[in-house]
Amino acid sequence: MAIFERRPSNVLAAALALAALASASVASQSRNVETRTAARTPWGDPDLQGVWSIATITPFERPRALADKQVLTAEEAEEIERTNLATNNQDRRDGAGTDADLARAYNDFWWDRGTKVVSTRQTSLVVDPPDGRVPALTAEGQKRATERAARGYDSWEDRSLWERCITRGLPMIPGPYNNNYQILQTPGYVVILHEMIHDARIIPLDTQPHIGKNIRQWFGDSRGKWEGDTLVVDTTNFADKASYRGSTDGLHLIERFTRINAETVRYEFTIDDPTTFTKRWTTSIPMQHTDEQIYEYACHEGNYGMVNLLSGARAQEKAAEGK
Amino acid sequence: MHIRIRRTIVGASAAVALTVLSFAVAPAAQAPAGYKAPRSPFKDGKPDLNGIWQANNTANWDIQGHAARQGPVLELGAAFSVPAGLGVVEGDEIPYQPWAAAKKKENAANWLKLDPEVKCYMPGVPRATYMPYPFQIVQTPTHVLMAYEFASASRTIYMNSKDESPADTWMGWSLGRWEGDTLVVDVNAFNGETWFDRAGNFHSEALHVVERYTPLSRDVLQYEATIEDPKVFTRPWKMSMPLYRRVEKNAQLLEYKCVEFVEELMYGHLRKKTK
Repeated sequence: MAIFERRPSNVLAAALALAALASASVASQSRNVETRTAARTPWGDPDLQGVWSIATITPFERPRALADKQVLTAEEAEEIERTNLATNNQDRRDGAGTDADLARAYNDFWWDRGTKVVSTRQTSLVVDPPDGRVPALTAEGQKRATERAARGYDSWEDRSLWERCITRGLPMIPGPYNNNYQILQTPGYVVILHEMIHDARIIPLDTQPHIGKNIRQWFGDSRGKWEGDTLVVDTTNFADKASYRGSTDGLHLIERFTRINAETVRYEFTIDDPTTFTKRWTTSIPMQHTDEQIYEYACHEGNYGMVNLLSGARAQEKAAEGK
Repeated sequence: MHIRIRRTIVGASAAVALTVLSFAVAPAAQAPAGYKAPRSPFKDGKPDLNGIWQANNTANWDIQGHAARQGPVLELGAAFSVPAGLGVVEGDEIPYQPWAAAKKKENAANWLKLDPEVKCYMPGVPRATYMPYPFQIVQTPTHVLMAYEFASASRTIYMNSKDESPADTWMGWSLGRWEGDTLVVDVNAFNGETWFDRAGNFHSEALHVVERYTPLSRDVLQYEATIEDPKVFTRPWKMSMPLYRRVEKNAQLLEYKCVEFVEELMYGHLRKKTK
């Protein structure tokens, strides 16, 4: 099974805009109120272990209507969550019998996007630049984006890596389902198990250099180290085709994991790819503890979607020829 | 993602299976006298199996003894022919029921068309252990992760748990426990889609595997897998082999994300024809 459309967050944007009008801006205080936790592994590393969810209804980029508002009040957050629940609900029956009604019920059964804004109540996951939006693409990045957008259904190569069940790749970003990650630690390694397309990402904690530059991988090559209580992971060696938002094989990904309390690991990543983006940008996502388990997600093994999509496109072409 | 499907009957059949196995199969490997494996850094007193491991045999070609033979692709010649092997099955005999013996032959005759490995499907257990790729054991007191290089397959072994799988799976549902210095893993809830090797050896969804990982020295684990599947075999049977640590200082798992290697094979007929 593979579902790929991300619902446009128009409703959320509108709700956020209303919320913004309703109250004055609140300064970002989340970093000040964090409690330092002393959770340690038996060998003394900060303990990040557990199953963590990044499901959230907070948008990736800040809706333009919110301008420079960085954090929601508790009341605004509640209002947005109420609106979201009323809007994205498989039990809604308005427009019963229409295609829209059918699609809503069918898709909402599979989707598991979460129902909450992030615990920090930030208005976007992108936190730098301060406008909460991904910086403009370079001319070269724009050219590649245009080429990508023009792709159709001629073959699987035109479809996304996710649709092809190859990988969801890096960095970790909230999606419509499979938002759980499990972190395990041993001396010398931090391992992150991704439910989405079953990736076990093994991050060595050592000073060994990155693998040779000729070895290019979907997940690149990661090296981690502790800076105080924060795990900093440096990833290079991405395959060109691994492209995140159009990034190239020159992408340098820097991720930071900090256990800010028993229930939360703060996950930050910085995208540094000057051939694609006009400046570096950073996202911050609170990963929330969950009691759920990671289940096997056999994506490729059950990818009827790819067969149906391609055979549908061929059938449409044939029908068009007959006209 | 939440999985709501419930599975039944696992507990009872597992109990029966264990009883049968204790009579039918030869004693399991023990750590050699005088060798004491290093202890886990979690200070739980258990042996430390962490590391990158790999089998060094030809069991993925055929778990039974076999002579070398020509490979399936003429153009590949000696570069991709089948290397010989002594086999890893105890007694070198797999006790198929008559219908299943016939199906095994049919599988072998149609290997390229039927073997799930060819399609980059998750390989199941025990096959994942002896494919010609390394795998990494990540051991904590509560979870032991087996991360395989092939197809980025993995499975979590839940230690001292009685949880049942919510659904059938490719890689099985693994419950682990320690017997002395041996990690014993009880694996069930298979979907019946995986094979044992490229020779067509197969099982059904009733497969139940008991694995034993015993440290023989710092760099060698003895691996045993007892196979029970009353729908396919007449009795339980066992395979065993050493697993070797990848001792290179810079050893690490690399990616073998094979989906893109099989898309032309699987979807090529659906590609838009250029005129």
